[in-house]
Amino acid sequence: MIDSRYSGLSRREVLRQLAGGAGLLGLAGVVHKNAGTALGANPSLNLQGNLPARAKRVIFLFLNGGPSHVDTFDPKPALLKHEGEKPSEKLYREGKKGGFMPSPFKFSRHGESGLEFSESVPNLARLADDVCIVRSMHTDVPNHEPALLQMHTGVVQPTRPSLGSWALYGLGSENENLPGYVVLRPSPRTVVGPALWSNGFLPARYQATSIITRELEVSKLLPHIRNRSRDKDAQRRQLDLLGILNSEHLREREGDGELEAEIRAMETAYTMQMEATEALDLSGESESTREMYGSSRFANSCLLARRLAERGVRFTTVYYTNDNNNQPWDTHKNHNEGHKGLCADADQAAAALIADLKQRGLLEDTLVIFGGEFGRTPFAEQKKDSKPGRDHHSTAFSYLLAGGGVKGGLVYGSSDEFGMRAQENPMHVHDFHATVLHLLGIDHEQLTYHYAGRDFRLTDVAGKVATGILQ
Amino acid sequence: MGRNAFVPSLFGAIVFLLFSAAGVLSIHAGKEIAWEEARQFWSFQPPRPVPLPEVQRQSWPQKDLDRFILRKLEDAGLDPETEAGRGTLIRRLSFDLTGLPPAVEEVEEFLSSKDPRSYETLVDRLLARPQFGERLASMWLPVMRYAEDQAHQVGNNSKFFYPHAHQYRRWVIDAFNRDLAFDQFVRLQLAADHYGEEDLAALGFIGLGPQYYNRNRLDVQAEEWEDRVDTVTRGFLGLTVACARCHDHFYDPITTEDYHAMAGIFASVSMDSRKVGDRTFHIVKDSKVQDLNVFVRGNVEEKGEVVSRGFLRVLSSGQERQVFKEGSGRRELAEAIVAPGNPLTSRVMVNRLWGEIFGVPLVKSASNFGSTGDRPSHPGLLDYLAVKFREEGWSIKALVRELVLSATYRQAPTRRKENTLLAGMNRRRLSAEMLRDAMLVVSGELESADPGGASLKVGDKNNLRRTVYARISRKELDSFLRQFDYPDANVHAGGRVVTTTPMQKLYLLNSPFVAARAVRLSGLDNELENEERIRRLFRKVLARDPSSSEVAGSLRYFEQAESNPDWAGFAQVLLCSNAFLYRD
Repeated sequence: MIDSRYSGLSRREVLRQLAGGAGLLGLAGVVHKNAGTALGANPSLNLQGNLPARAKRVIFLFLNGGPSHVDTFDPKPALLKHEGEKPSEKLYREGKKGGFMPSPFKFSRHGESGLEFSESVPNLARLADDVCIVRSMHTDVPNHEPALLQMHTGVVQPTRPSLGSWALYGLGSENENLPGYVVLRPSPRTVVGPALWSNGFLPARYQATSIITRELEVSKLLPHIRNRSRDKDAQRRQLDLLGILNSEHLREREGDGELEAEIRAMETAYTMQMEATEALDLSGESESTREMYGSSRFANSCLLARRLAERGVRFTTVYYTNDNNNQPWDTHKNHNEGHKGLCADADQAAAALIADLKQRGLLEDTLVIFGGEFGRTPFAEQKKDSKPGRDHHSTAFSYLLAGGGVKGGLVYGSSDEFGMRAQENPMHVHDFHATVLHLLGIDHEQLTYHYAGRDFRLTDVAGKVATGILQ
Repeated sequence: MGRNAFVPSLFGAIVFLLFSAAGVLSIHAGKEIAWEEARQFWSFQPPRPVPLPEVQRQSWPQKDLDRFILRKLEDAGLDPETEAGRGTLIRRLSFDLTGLPPAVEEVEEFLSSKDPRSYETLVDRLLARPQFGERLASMWLPVMRYAEDQAHQVGNNSKFFYPHAHQYRRWVIDAFNRDLAFDQFVRLQLAADHYGEEDLAALGFIGLGPQYYNRNRLDVQAEEWEDRVDTVTRGFLGLTVACARCHDHFYDPITTEDYHAMAGIFASVSMDSRKVGDRTFHIVKDSKVQDLNVFVRGNVEEKGEVVSRGFLRVLSSGQERQVFKEGSGRRELAEAIVAPGNPLTSRVMVNRLWGEIFGVPLVKSASNFGSTGDRPSHPGLLDYLAVKFREEGWSIKALVRELVLSATYRQAPTRRKENTLLAGMNRRRLSAEMLRDAMLVVSGELESADPGGASLKVGDKNNLRRTVYARISRKELDSFLRQFDYPDANVHAGGRVVTTTPMQKLYLLNSPFVAARAVRLSGLDNELENEERIRRLFRKVLARDPSSSEVAGSLRYFEQAESNPDWAGFAQVLLCSNAFLYRD
């Protein structure tokens, strides 16, 4: 906190408020409507009026391991016609690889738009007119770690800020009593881990709060969310005293951003106790809502994401992992069975989330993203002791987008006849990031941070907004 | 790195895109590496004795290393900070050398001492304490990814866990305390069985490595070898050799043959437990010696040429890769790492220790001295220290002593946001271990003697030991440690990222651990008048007296709830304060 830039108060004034006990409570709960003036936004951007913001917040449903595009959103009849044939092009290598493997899942058209979906995602299919399928995604490396890092940070090596941190840096938080960037993890183990939601060189206030959603009791979701021996008034008195000590400490260390971040984090923690308890409590959700989402950890996480979005959390990522498998979508063997089971869970919850947001009038300014670090090969990966799988595939895969200013009922871009390479309107990860920022009202070329001698961007020197998907 | 194929042309384009701007030149001219050219890269050049820089302010340097810092400051038109106050210095030194805050009596003695050598005396006293080894073990254990279990556990099967891991930890702590020369520290951890019987515990360096699910499969074994190569090369050499598992390294002169030459060493050992008397050690031993085929693109089913066990070609003294012949080759590997001609080992360790003491290493990417890593902020200083470290017998205590006796170290905290040149000391938050230990020290509860034996969980309410003795899990890192930035124990950690989160504050506000320490503190001095009691608590927790406004604020805190004075609540505020969490 104590960043005078966001409120027009001088730092001294804010400090005085804090010392006097008002603290952030005086500012708490203020929700700014316009991008660029929200609490904690980066003031130098002056984003207000820069671009019309269509999305105010993002929910990224991340399918760890890389889901298959040719079994979900990108029908490839040619795979059946050429079943077993070995691709001639460079992407294919001999060895364990088999020939083309057609999808066993039947595709059909849905909605007025006639978007095609496979039968493995029947619930999302029903939302055909609300969603946009991007069939021309591509990324640079078909290995999990670099691809995960690139999808999250734009760069294949760790230590760069994540998309969520950039968004928070650009826009600030809508609700200072909750973290602005939350990651919901059904299991503590995630490939790569914290580097995926890192604030990197951006100031610490733009980092994510990670919540393990294994157990739904609020005190399990957020350890130490409740105090066992002091009521709120007693705790407030403690924090007022702490404010006096910390502001005196800071006065002798003027300008130390880390110390300011500590003070800010403490005030956020105090208010989080109330707000987060309420936000993370699913017990108030109706029976029918719970049923609509399903009962898996991913489903519960999706429902939590909706509650967080409703309360102004800027960016929420839900990971699809479980205790036995930190990248379940990585179906190197028994692909058809594995894919089906994963979809049964993910499709229901993701569709429920989109429908639920729509019904609450939140979809128009909430961007929902559904996808993984890459796709899977249109050809088989042969295994000696099991049915074939599909391998990692980075040169063409699909993403589903909904809400937040994205056109519904649209297929954007294409892959080639076999789903091997992106063809029309290819959307590189940088383009995807540029587009997400654009939807949030941020020009990706202007969202920069000066670090180690130069200005950094999420999109480095690349990135083209896919204007074709904008409403 | 994943084990799958990639697309060279696409990746090449990205390499260009990402790194052309940063000035990284490709050393791979076509397929073949231009070795002589590659060896010109700064970190492959042996550190050379450097003449001490000329400086204007002749009176400032306390140690020769100060000249390197001062010269850069003067060139940039900056002044060093004044010397920090003695209260700041003793708290800083105590944390940096022992990981613990100073005792009240020690502070009083230091502040009132008239002895001009009192600072040196304090340094020597702290270096001689057994807590010094515990402090440096906190640095070393994440470097070698210390843990006592495995990430994968099938059912309740714990046969791959390491119940005697503490023997290795004990050995590391002792090694730092007896100032075991660093070259020997390296030798024993890789090949203690070749140097006698006393130091078998040191073999935990490899012997506590991760063992993965389905480990009798070749592709899974290959993953384990990768862990060993990665830990050894990033840990000792500052090179990301494991990147070359599937392909020649994109940025450094490290080939996939180099990788497999090293992986062959670890393919020729097996994990074992050895009982000696009443102690059991998790060790490695040589098993069937094998040279590996290159696994093309990391795929164990695509076998390329056989590569003899050996060292990295770029670091080998001749033109060709040095080949190892003795058993698995572990001893020869250790000797190659500490060999006088190795340009990296001394620099890498000096740099790590610099980072521990000053907060930021001279090469910020402490485990990557390759071309994608950072360049040293003070190349001359790094070389000066690396040469000195090696020539003066690899003494870690001597090096640390040199660092903390410098004028650079004794500066007041910097007032600058960007402090690469060290105009002032870096202010630092206490690490997870320091924070927890400090709470136990100020409440008078820390069990300071070495407990020996098996570890307790951090969250065990009966665990009043130093955090370095706590159980570290690969499967699920303790939530306190995770919240406060302790690295993932599954892989080598080159350093720690410091994060500041509301979740940390919830821990400070609401955890039973902090509450228990606060209650304990509140029971002390309860016969005193409020104001004196407040002063005592300030001294105990923050190692200083309160200012008048702090006293006034504290008294007001008690006036607000006079009927039921919450002393534990007050003590907790001190434990949560930035003054406690940070050292200047």
